[in-house]
Amino acid sequence: MVDEIKIQVGFEGHYEELTVTLPEGDIPPYQPADKLTVVGKSHPRLDALAKATGTARYAYDQRPKGLLYGAILRCPHANANVTTLDTSTAEQMPGVKAVLKATELFESNSCRFAGAEVAAVCATSEQIAEEALRAIFVDYEVLPFAVTLEDSMASGAPQVGRRDQENVERTTPRLGRDRDGSINEEREKAAQDGMAEREKKVDAILKDAPVVISRTFRTQVQTHCPLEPHGLVCEWKDGKLIAHASTQATFGVQGELGRRTGTTPQVICDHVGGGFGSKFSAGREGVIGAMLAKEAGAPVRVMLTRRAEQTAVGNRPDSKQKLTMGLDREGKILAYRIRSWGTPGAGTGGAGAHNDALYKLGEIDKVEYGVRTNTGGARAHRAPGWPQGVFALESMLDEAAKAIDMDPLELRRRNDSHKVRKAEYEIAAKRTKWQDKRGKGVASGSVRRGIGMASSLWFSAGGGGASALVRILKNGTVEVRNGAQDIGTGTRTIMGQVTAEELGLGLADVTVFIGNTDDPRGPASGGSTTIGSLTPAVRLAAHDAKRKLLDAVADRKSWDAAGLDLKHGSVVDGSGNALISFRAACALLDEDAIEVLRDRPTLGRRRPNYAGFEDTNAGVQVAEVAVDLETGEVRVEKVTAVADAGKLINPKLAESQVRGGVIQGVSYALFERRTMDRQEGRMVNADMESYKILGAADCPEIDVVMLDVFNGKSNTGVMGLGEPPIVATAAAVANAVADAIGVRITELPITPRKVLEALGKVPRTRAASEKKGTSL
Amino acid sequence: MPPKPEPPPESAVTRRSFLKGASLTVAAVGVAGPGASVARGARLEEDGVPILGPGPTAMKLEVNGVERSISAPPSTTLADALRDEIGLTGTKRVCDRGSCGACTVMIDGRTVDSCSMLAIDAVGRKIQTVEGCGTPEKPSALQEAFVECDALQCGFCTPGMVVSCTALLEQNPHPTREQIAAGISGNICRCGTYQNIFEAVELAAKKGGGRGR
Repeated sequence: MVDEIKIQVGFEGHYEELTVTLPEGDIPPYQPADKLTVVGKSHPRLDALAKATGTARYAYDQRPKGLLYGAILRCPHANANVTTLDTSTAEQMPGVKAVLKATELFESNSCRFAGAEVAAVCATSEQIAEEALRAIFVDYEVLPFAVTLEDSMASGAPQVGRRDQENVERTTPRLGRDRDGSINEEREKAAQDGMAEREKKVDAILKDAPVVISRTFRTQVQTHCPLEPHGLVCEWKDGKLIAHASTQATFGVQGELGRRTGTTPQVICDHVGGGFGSKFSAGREGVIGAMLAKEAGAPVRVMLTRRAEQTAVGNRPDSKQKLTMGLDREGKILAYRIRSWGTPGAGTGGAGAHNDALYKLGEIDKVEYGVRTNTGGARAHRAPGWPQGVFALESMLDEAAKAIDMDPLELRRRNDSHKVRKAEYEIAAKRTKWQDKRGKGVASGSVRRGIGMASSLWFSAGGGGASALVRILKNGTVEVRNGAQDIGTGTRTIMGQVTAEELGLGLADVTVFIGNTDDPRGPASGGSTTIGSLTPAVRLAAHDAKRKLLDAVADRKSWDAAGLDLKHGSVVDGSGNALISFRAACALLDEDAIEVLRDRPTLGRRRPNYAGFEDTNAGVQVAEVAVDLETGEVRVEKVTAVADAGKLINPKLAESQVRGGVIQGVSYALFERRTMDRQEGRMVNADMESYKILGAADCPEIDVVMLDVFNGKSNTGVMGLGEPPIVATAAAVANAVADAIGVRITELPITPRKVLEALGKVPRTRAASEKKGTSL
Repeated sequence: MPPKPEPPPESAVTRRSFLKGASLTVAAVGVAGPGASVARGARLEEDGVPILGPGPTAMKLEVNGVERSISAPPSTTLADALRDEIGLTGTKRVCDRGSCGACTVMIDGRTVDSCSMLAIDAVGRKIQTVEGCGTPEKPSALQEAFVECDALQCGFCTPGMVVSCTALLEQNPHPTREQIAAGISGNICRCGTYQNIFEAVELAAKKGGGRGR
């Protein structure tokens, strides 16, 4: 049966009533008037004490008896084919228990970046494993290579790929292809016609637009650098593979290793030392670990070295974005042209930049290209494509505002229709005294201060694919189980809070099980959708378990079950009077436990959420910087982040996510940059001392304002918050720097050198690659 | 609260002793006294310098007030000895070259990157790891403050942070925010918990009478 119900949606001061369709078997969403006792409270995270005392066990910390140590031999060349691979000496070494050839395991002798897997061993000690790697003899056919975007695009550049793969491939609009990947001329012609038409349209508008500005932006490659490297500890027991993996997708790893081994592995992940988008796949190291353990007949640990971590398991691609914007003098954006390039490694997918989002941008003509380079492949990285795209877009908006002499905040207001963000602009402006500071360039000595803003957008209401099991035991204990993982965002705690709230208990009364594929299926931690997908299933399972308990109690006591509820640790009647304690109620059960498994309710396949309020997370950030005109050093002094994530289950954890996103965003804006050696084809700074990550001394003060939004999208209305807070940060910092020094820096990271160059204090350097003729 | 230990001689835990190599270092330790236990199984060269390794060597380490006997090659780092030989996996191995601070432990009250020090160099010294700062049953005021202030996310940098902050509070019971930032400037957090850590140290300073204990 499908129910129509009336609910309140919106946020404080902006509520409206909405009629929504309740999916069959679902319960109505949390409402603003609900008196919640656990949900919405800042409980410390459940695993905080284990982590603070060093007792939390990660994949890296697993020490099964007889553990062997795995190590991977990696190709030192940027582009090469393995012609000879002789492992016979290594196999004979004392202590070596298994040797694998990656060329055979992955059926390819092609190494397209320095760091590609060639062979692997496991041995009784790490030292022996490393010695064994040195005893493996490899002959390479070394090929010419290109490791930068410019080198790959230069005329006469060496071919990065194989077969007929070209170095530069259009990714937006997609090439017209057949199912087998070959170009379908008809489809491709339709794509090209569409491009030509959009180009003509935008040409016509730009010709008459009162103001037209053009800028080119560059962003760098950023590595994920999670502190716990990729890897796992694998053990085979009675033909079953048990893998303790450092992953953000337990079920994904289970599927991958399962396909590879023809079994159904158990994947366990109690804690993950960071992922940031790079740990969805079991990866080659995962397959290697499983196969080494099988071959050796003993547990094997394969955890990547920091060098491998920095080179081989993902990054945020770089970008070159040529943007042209036409607008009228009232600030209405009329047309927008985008030509952008990015290098996701030897492939071409995943380098897109979201530079055409957030605002009403008029007629858009966007063409985007993936550029192959002989570098480690890109992977999803905390809001993939967004920080780089929004940096360019928001820089353009500030340049546009300058051109028509308008307050950048006002220009944004005029081109934005997001209900939540409109309110967030006002909060951010008031909190930062925007009007008093913007454009004032306050100076003290050689230091100039500036302020800049940027917006964000995200889509984390979640979807299907999540289920949860709630058990109420006769002895009064409560369990909630889901097999997904908590990557440090707090999913474990959120599950516990939602369950406790539904059962009228405290968080301490609920035991949460997470990170084990033997438990019900849960989502990958991607797209910030984990808790958006998971909490509706958890709440429904808890709700149904509660009703079963109350039915049993009513039956035993001859009460009317319909009037009963669970509140404050007791069974209460319709007037809220406590009848018996929760524990006493459980003792009345005939069976040992009530067990309820529920999926997330969905309404149709394509739209699992209710047609509620705004579909998306908004967000506005304001950065305040101090730039030293003599040294070129930029200090981000303060970031004010106004954010929203649907209904807030735990404001403290939400605030932590926002602070973390901002910090990673500032780090991206000012410090981080993968540097490739163009002569040798290797990453120069594949470590943690020359790959600079923001430290405590550079940490800005972060002022977080969270809106509690009732979006009506599910029975919890929860949205995730991993990615949204990093979207706007680098853009806000760049705009603040421009406000401070009066010159725009169009390239990240904003290093002292670039500041001094922009100020004309030192001559401009150009990368040697840029001196060659390129087609850019 | 244990009395503050005497600072060790400068040369004891510096990069230099590490770089000088295992055999010379062992000689130095041998002279200092605890070498007797170290040198079991060592061969004596003609000039009397004991040579250890490359195979396992017996050594005794005093970790969190408990003497632990291990047998590991003299090339074993302190971080690996703690994790793989003793099973104290709170100490994390992250960059493995002294640039991130995740493996921070205290040696005679001073913080050290245990990935860049040989276990054998820690013989005869008091080693304190995160497990020695407090336990889940009896956490220190600082660890409680970490929990309360949500000063951790993925938690992988946390043990190193806790050790660094404990050492900081021992030396400076009421640090300013700048002093806290300087105190953990050798520790990298990728999730971005720095501000929460500042708040946790301030809370611990207030609650713990200025010490993290």
